[in-house]
Amino acid sequence: MALRARQLLWLLVCCLLCSGSLGAATVAADQGGLPPQKTWTTAAELTAEEKRALDFRTDTPRDASVPYLPAEPFPFQLPYTAEEMALRAMEFPHSPFWDCILIDMAFSVTNSGFMDQRVTLIPILYFPENGFGEHLYAAQPGQEIYRWLSQGVSPPERYGNQTLWIGYRTDKTFRTKIDMFAYSPSLRRIRRQPQPRREDRLPNSAATFDNLIGRDAWEFSWRILGTDVLHQTVRFPKTRQTAVLTDEKGQYVEVDAKDLSLMGKEYPLYTTDGGVKCYVLEAIPKSEWLRDYYAHKLIYWVDQYAFFPLRVEEYDRQGHLSFVNTRIASLANPALQEHGYAVQFDLWWDVSIDFLSASTHGFVPQTWTEEDKKIFFSPGFMRREWFLAPPKGLMSLNSPDEFYLRPPLEEGKFPDSRSINLSPEVQALIEAQEREGKLVFEEERGDG
Amino acid sequence: MHGKRGLLSVVGSVLGGLLLLALSANVSPCYGYFMDKQVDAVVNTWSRFDRFLSTFDPAGRYVRQPIERQVPALTFRGFLRQWSDIQLSGDRRVGNRQKDFRFSQMQNLLELELHYQVSPNIEITNINNFIYDSVYNWQDSAGLFAPRTSETFRAYHNFERIVRELYISYRTHNLDVVLGKQQIAWGKMDGQYIDVINGMDRRESVQLEASDYEWRRLPAWMANVTYFFGANSLNFLWIPNFEQDRNPVPGSPWYSPLASPRDTETKAILDGRQDATGDQFRETKRPSTGDFGDHQYGLRLDVSMEPLTWGLIYYYAWNKNPTSFIVDRDIDAAGDPYLIFQPRFTRLHHLGITADYASALSNMPLVGELPIVLRVEGLWTKDVPFADFDHQDRAREGYLNSGIIRRDTLRAAIAVEFAFPGNTSFIFQPSLLYTFDWRKNLGPGFGGAVGDKWNVLPVIFIGRPFRFTRDRLRVEMTLIPWISGPVREWQGIKSKLVAQYRFSQFITGRLIYTAFSSGDRTDLYGQFNKWDNIGWELSYEF
Repeated sequence: MALRARQLLWLLVCCLLCSGSLGAATVAADQGGLPPQKTWTTAAELTAEEKRALDFRTDTPRDASVPYLPAEPFPFQLPYTAEEMALRAMEFPHSPFWDCILIDMAFSVTNSGFMDQRVTLIPILYFPENGFGEHLYAAQPGQEIYRWLSQGVSPPERYGNQTLWIGYRTDKTFRTKIDMFAYSPSLRRIRRQPQPRREDRLPNSAATFDNLIGRDAWEFSWRILGTDVLHQTVRFPKTRQTAVLTDEKGQYVEVDAKDLSLMGKEYPLYTTDGGVKCYVLEAIPKSEWLRDYYAHKLIYWVDQYAFFPLRVEEYDRQGHLSFVNTRIASLANPALQEHGYAVQFDLWWDVSIDFLSASTHGFVPQTWTEEDKKIFFSPGFMRREWFLAPPKGLMSLNSPDEFYLRPPLEEGKFPDSRSINLSPEVQALIEAQEREGKLVFEEERGDG
Repeated sequence: MHGKRGLLSVVGSVLGGLLLLALSANVSPCYGYFMDKQVDAVVNTWSRFDRFLSTFDPAGRYVRQPIERQVPALTFRGFLRQWSDIQLSGDRRVGNRQKDFRFSQMQNLLELELHYQVSPNIEITNINNFIYDSVYNWQDSAGLFAPRTSETFRAYHNFERIVRELYISYRTHNLDVVLGKQQIAWGKMDGQYIDVINGMDRRESVQLEASDYEWRRLPAWMANVTYFFGANSLNFLWIPNFEQDRNPVPGSPWYSPLASPRDTETKAILDGRQDATGDQFRETKRPSTGDFGDHQYGLRLDVSMEPLTWGLIYYYAWNKNPTSFIVDRDIDAAGDPYLIFQPRFTRLHHLGITADYASALSNMPLVGELPIVLRVEGLWTKDVPFADFDHQDRAREGYLNSGIIRRDTLRAAIAVEFAFPGNTSFIFQPSLLYTFDWRKNLGPGFGGAVGDKWNVLPVIFIGRPFRFTRDRLRVEMTLIPWISGPVREWQGIKSKLVAQYRFSQFITGRLIYTAFSSGDRTDLYGQFNKWDNIGWELSYEF
């Protein structure tokens, strides 16, 4: 009997360890009607004036020393190719490419209402002194580009957990994007970690490592799909019309949601109704760079001034929408002008398992001394448990009801390039969410 | 046997039920589509419970936050943990043990941690642990009587144990000075290789896990100074206060069944109903805090040369366990000779190395690129004292000697960690314990192989979170085979299976199955064949 019980236990374990995540069978969703006003235009429908700003070629001259980059110097001039816009968009990953302390307030919520909130301080050291152009053209593959020191503040189980990320300039010959060291106060050990797999999700998050650290534009083939005007990306629920941000000293401040705009107050190109004009780009992984990449295709909405990605969609290997990232930006480093935009709000939605994660960012500008750079951004520093900003935790959401709404589906836009297949349950939850003005969880939707 | 079957069935049902509940709570939407209404009701109830737990943090809200608001310079945190293990074997005699208990631990641990920022450079830290293990009170067991020897096994009851850490730290860019009671973890491997600074509470014997070292290390009063230069550092330790290892005592759940005398005899001696017979042991001689010559010193250098980091250590220390030296021989009333031993701690020189290196294997079948990390750690210890039973026999015959010989020992491990898809972590860690110039009839000694010249432990670990639970469920399996030579060959295998579930960001539950299989009854793992157990931990952090 004991033997049988043990065998059953081991069988259960082996099944669990060997199984993949249970995939969600999907059925075609009701495509619904088009939005009241058509805001999008395909490339073929663009006016002659709009087309003058764009270069539709895919075979522009190449840089002599870096053949996978355009010969035209960064930050490029009108008219823009899709590739050039993508390279500009690379400047804006989740964490900024300039020195600062990033205060990251992150949240995740499942469709059953399980919620996770965390605050992390992330001192950032960016090496290219002449900005992103140097990052692209001068940095050699294998050269360090940035170091992030992630210091967990809350919840209590994460207090003092630290991770040092060392990011590298990569190409086909040097493919290591990240070296990573982790420190846990409960183990009191600093451990070098294997490089995260690009398609793996961050722990308790909807985002993959590629969503977090950004993608290299040269690994994809780019095409201009058209233009669009975005009016909403990250949407606040009716249960919470405020957001907690931080001032330049890292102090928490509460702001009214209606005072937030997609690209911040200083943005010069809002439409009369507060929209942001975007170019819509399609990215297909190049097989010679990315074999068997987890996303079959990505679609970017980048604004027409800074080329900041306000919305990014990922499509799975069957070509269906699998992931949506929407953002609100702010001009966090005005000295860098249009290159100083950064992610203020990030919302990630894993469509396949209906899992939402979000981040709100605060920025404390820093000028690191040479001593700071050597001491603070080395693995051994983590053992000192020295927070580089006051370690103030915050539970800014009082309940899962206060989480952001799922991103708008933007149904009907670019139908030739976008396939949205949602399960009836997710579709029902979305309809309930739009009706209620807040997230509706499984048991609340009323059809169970 | 009937009792065991009943117990297994209950445990199996509980395990299955919990797993079903956990899985059903997080199934993807399409699963809900196929569920009937009863299962839907369970999911809905769980969903409501999920949302309730999301913000359930009473100690944080009503204790921690008000205190921190009142004293802004104070950071206050802590946790409450319930830790229980239930044995799968019924009542029986095992070796010298009267094993009539089912729970081998029912520990309740409250930890309170305070940090007070005196100035930007100066901080005072205090960590307190309050433990109560109810196994000794909640079971009617004749085999559990450890509190008669040491109350610490039941509850922490004195300053030494409750106040685990109390230190003041001063830091500048290049210098850290930490003075006070503290614990130091050197090394980065699973298991203790160069992690030898503090003594350890080894009440769980072979079940002690690296994840519990934080609460099992025995902090000591010391000065800890680190100088940082560039990405490198030099660490110096001066430890006037000596804390030895605390091993299981007679009447505790993990006391070795091989150790004599029998439990009944031990209790009779403790009760004064019987005198101890055989060899005599004098009171253990300990190093003195007041004697500068008795202090311990450590030095560690860490160097970062991306993608390689490495370090060297030297530790002039005391052996954490006393060695019994023969000091005399006498004849008892029956005319039999017996020996008089003087247990005392001996000096050891430890030299160690640690290194790690990251890389990736390209074009691997099925997984494409495979990131890996290589870690190496080793500790060579000079002149470790070993009891020599040949020498003891000669002493018994009248040729008086110390009964001790000294040997160098080596313990080392190489770990290769692979990052497979799905955040699956796989670690292969072959470890070696080796006694130089070993010979039969040697007792145990620090760092050396157990009961043999060499031990090889090819440790295998695999763990992964499950995406369909949104990473709330994580399952880990560890296998530790104990290979030995040239005498014993095989000393058994320890298997450990852990299912961890995050009920909320404050509350975590763990189910742990630990088994000790095969090996002879005199082998390291073999002797604990009847100690297989299922444990659970429920932890609330605030």
